[in-house]
Amino acid sequence: MSGEILSLVMFAVACGVLLLGFPVAFSLAGTGLAFALLGDALGVFDMPLLGSLPSRYFGVMTNELYVAIPLFIFMGVMLERARIAEKLLTTMGMLFGTMRAGLGISVVIVGMLLAASTGIVGATVVTMGLLSLPAMQKAGYNPRLSTGIICASGTLGQIIPPSIVLVLLGDILQGAYAEAQRALGNWAPEPISVMDLFAGAFIPGLLLVGLYICWIIIQAFIDPKAAPALVTDKRPEGLWGEVLRALLPPALLIVAVLGSILTGIATPTESAAFGSIGAMVLAALYRRLSWDVLRYVVRQTVQVSAMVFVILLGASVFSLVFRGLGGDHLVEELLHNLPGGVFSAMLVVMLLMFIMGFFLDFIEIVFVVIPIVGPILLKMDIDPVWLGVMIAINLQTSFLTPPFGFALFYLRGVAPAAIKTWDIYRGIVPFVLIQLLGLCLVGAFPFLATWLPGVLF
Amino acid sequence: MKRCLNCLYTVATVNGRLQAWRPKAEFFCQTKIPKNVQEAERVGFLSRFVRLVDGLNDWIGRGVAWLVIPMVVITFLVATLRYGFAVGWVSMQESYMWLYGIIFMIGAGYTLLHEGHVRVDVFYRPASPRYKAWVDLFGSVFLLLPVITMVVIYSYPYVMTSWHRLEGSHETGGLPGLFLYKTVILIFCTLMFIQGMSLAARSILVLAGHREFEIKEEEHEGV
Amino acid sequence: QEVREWRMVTTWPKNFPGLGTGANLLAEYINKASNGRMNVTVFGAGEIVPAFEAIDAVGNGTVEMGHGAPYYWKGKVDATQYIAAMPFGLNAQEQNAWFQWGGGQELADKVYSELNCKFFPSGNTGTQMGGWFNKEMNTIDDYKGLKMRIPGLGGEVVKAAGGNVVNLPGGEIPPALQSGAIDATEWVGPYNDLAFGLYKSAKFYYYPGWHEPATVLDNFINLDAWNSLPDDLKAIVEQANRAVNQMVLSEFTARNNQALQTLRDKHNVDVRPFSDDILTNLGALSGTVLRDLVASNPLSQEVFESLIAFRTQSIGWSKFSESAFAQARILPFKY
Ligand code: NA
Ligand code: NA
Repeated sequence: MSGEILSLVMFAVACGVLLLGFPVAFSLAGTGLAFALLGDALGVFDMPLLGSLPSRYFGVMTNELYVAIPLFIFMGVMLERARIAEKLLTTMGMLFGTMRAGLGISVVIVGMLLAASTGIVGATVVTMGLLSLPAMQKAGYNPRLSTGIICASGTLGQIIPPSIVLVLLGDILQGAYAEAQRALGNWAPEPISVMDLFAGAFIPGLLLVGLYICWIIIQAFIDPKAAPALVTDKRPEGLWGEVLRALLPPALLIVAVLGSILTGIATPTESAAFGSIGAMVLAALYRRLSWDVLRYVVRQTVQVSAMVFVILLGASVFSLVFRGLGGDHLVEELLHNLPGGVFSAMLVVMLLMFIMGFFLDFIEIVFVVIPIVGPILLKMDIDPVWLGVMIAINLQTSFLTPPFGFALFYLRGVAPAAIKTWDIYRGIVPFVLIQLLGLCLVGAFPFLATWLPGVLF
Repeated sequence: MKRCLNCLYTVATVNGRLQAWRPKAEFFCQTKIPKNVQEAERVGFLSRFVRLVDGLNDWIGRGVAWLVIPMVVITFLVATLRYGFAVGWVSMQESYMWLYGIIFMIGAGYTLLHEGHVRVDVFYRPASPRYKAWVDLFGSVFLLLPVITMVVIYSYPYVMTSWHRLEGSHETGGLPGLFLYKTVILIFCTLMFIQGMSLAARSILVLAGHREFEIKEEEHEGV
Repeated sequence: QEVREWRMVTTWPKNFPGLGTGANLLAEYINKASNGRMNVTVFGAGEIVPAFEAIDAVGNGTVEMGHGAPYYWKGKVDATQYIAAMPFGLNAQEQNAWFQWGGGQELADKVYSELNCKFFPSGNTGTQMGGWFNKEMNTIDDYKGLKMRIPGLGGEVVKAAGGNVVNLPGGEIPPALQSGAIDATEWVGPYNDLAFGLYKSAKFYYYPGWHEPATVLDNFINLDAWNSLPDDLKAIVEQANRAVNQMVLSEFTARNNQALQTLRDKHNVDVRPFSDDILTNLGALSGTVLRDLVASNPLSQEVFESLIAFRTQSIGWSKFSESAFAQARILPFKY
């Protein structure tokens, strides 16, 4: 028992250490190591268990599925450098800008298109912040509304496939689900794959897009000054041709990447490679492909991939020690003994993740929390695709919740001084509520997540 | 005071004498130290160490970054050759996997150098340089370095066993030199360890009043 | 009383049908028979170490024992793959005879000592199926350009026949088969194949599993841990393995019987035999390929020669016993 108590103390201490601000990977691993030594001294932890670390690291280095992650990162950074978003934003703005709420809606649509081709949150928010924030300011948009729109649309890439969150979740849920089903005596569980999750997240992603757009329209009707039309009421000549030309490249990429995944022609990893080559070709067509750009893109790819995987390596020390101390049994008992069974267990886990999202990045939540609660929830015979999509919406929300919302930081970094940080924080509140509404809808109507994978596969 | 944005090369007047620092040696930086400026004498052992390690990891990271291109191309080729021409080799599949592992393992030190590893910066971001230096010093000495030491203790025999057997792929037709790929774990540890020491040294320098060693925020894409 | 707390890592997901239950049974038998002097806890793949790292975790003492299949260690010690299964090699009964009466146990122990482990055969899948195909297979030429997921020695033979051997993570196999990314895959036998749902993605189910006429599962124990056991506990572990070896094979036999029926009756699976042309050619290729492979590795050569000698004798006797009877039993008479 004392080991289990120690595991809880470790969790609390880790939260404290994380808040100091040292890189997450080493805060987690360092705390884990300290408690392993402490547990060893108290006779409740077996040090040789840590001998499995090199094997686990090597397991990450040989995980075929994870190769998709650097590839999607490469693709996203390349698209950003190719300025495809820029072109889309300006033409969409010209197309819809003359309508009330039109500019805001066009930002949401561009966010959705970028999300469906790859969706690196940082790149999307920065690009849209640089281009559409000034335009919305000029049109007289309420700064809170405009920053909220940009941040929320910029994070769509995490929920609309292809998405790194879903790749990571798919890998973890796969094993957890099979294990849970066998524990329930089902010897022939349907295998779930990353593609199931991609298909499952598609409609909920579009649902969120719809909710954002509804909210902008409602705003425009309640308070016409919040989202006015552009002053120029004339559309330039040949606009439709421009629109087509701007839409074509992302459309092709979406077909190449999402099409190849959802039809099962390619594994997520291979489709990410198609997308990466596609992004390079587009950049070349736009005459943006130079050695400088390539150098920038490959360096960013290294840094972001290393960041993701080093957290994974650090978190694996932490979770190994947590497990070694018996912490997983404790969580299991806790969730199983909740009154109300599945519903309350789900509610508690979702709430926990939402709250952790205020302080932690999605990757930490995926690597630390899901391996512990995932198998337990799935043993309650919950649909794994539905669970994965619920988690993904929750994690997407963590990008938007102050104080530590990445999307908010990125926007702050590029927003003009006239926009106050407070505006950004206030502006995101309705969108966080929309996210929660989306989460409740998918929670109440699981077919939103489970229908498409059922039809496709 | 003059400063090169690329390599943080700094020229300033100290005690009436023009002096220059290069905290991060950039192998490719073209900035020359002017003739009338002396390289600072008070740049002692610690800063020379920081300069050396940062330069090394920077150089390695930039080199390893180019492996991203073959990783993309080989993955693309594996899929295309299979669908288009019905040919393929397990060794080719493994080669892009190796590249992926090499990229993030060997690029990890470079990422630490460029502040790429995520921090929970609710308190860290707005804090003073001294707070940051204390956190980084504490973190390197009590979190990063012990963790890497532990990983080395457990990985060294693991990798040596693999060398002893000249371990190859467990897949039919896979790449033979698996022991080389496993060695990447030790390279990762080495590069992270020295970069962690550099971070500690840098923090000590900042705490001692060498402002030029403060960590600057860099543009960072995130995911 | 001293309690030996041992951990057993496996290459199977926890409680995996057939394969994973062997590990669970082994732990259960040892714990019960030792009357609490040993307590073995089972861990699924990835819980402590990833599947393909299990034997290193045992060899270096991270854990005391493990359960898997010998061919997983071929990258570390090549000879292990011949112990697991050989294309057109021995069936389960003959494999057990080789281990217990044909010098197999001693040879396997010699091979596993390179991994700092003690070896026990600890389960057997019995004869497997040839695999799931979306192309009709009539002659050996149909293997030219065939995109097939088939690991191990069988893969080497398919490659020699002109096939294109592909390696895919488990979860990606059904969609890859569905979309035509691959033409064929082998898996295990009806029991596991039914569980994996492969019948949904493939047209034909070919037999027999010439590439894995029977596959040995292994229990490997850290040599120091093994040597530290008193003789009575050693005997308990040994006998537990003999029991598990038999139980797993029986489970496969019983469940394959039912699963094949389900596949044919409920899912209308088109079950087809490989033609004599295909089998004759693959058989000849297997001999050549295997001889080439072992030529450069003395230990593999030693194991191979021993197995081949046993195989020749087995064929000689089986022709007049098991094979003859199996043929007799399916003659068209009413029973
Ligand atoms: Na996306
Ligand atoms: Na947050």
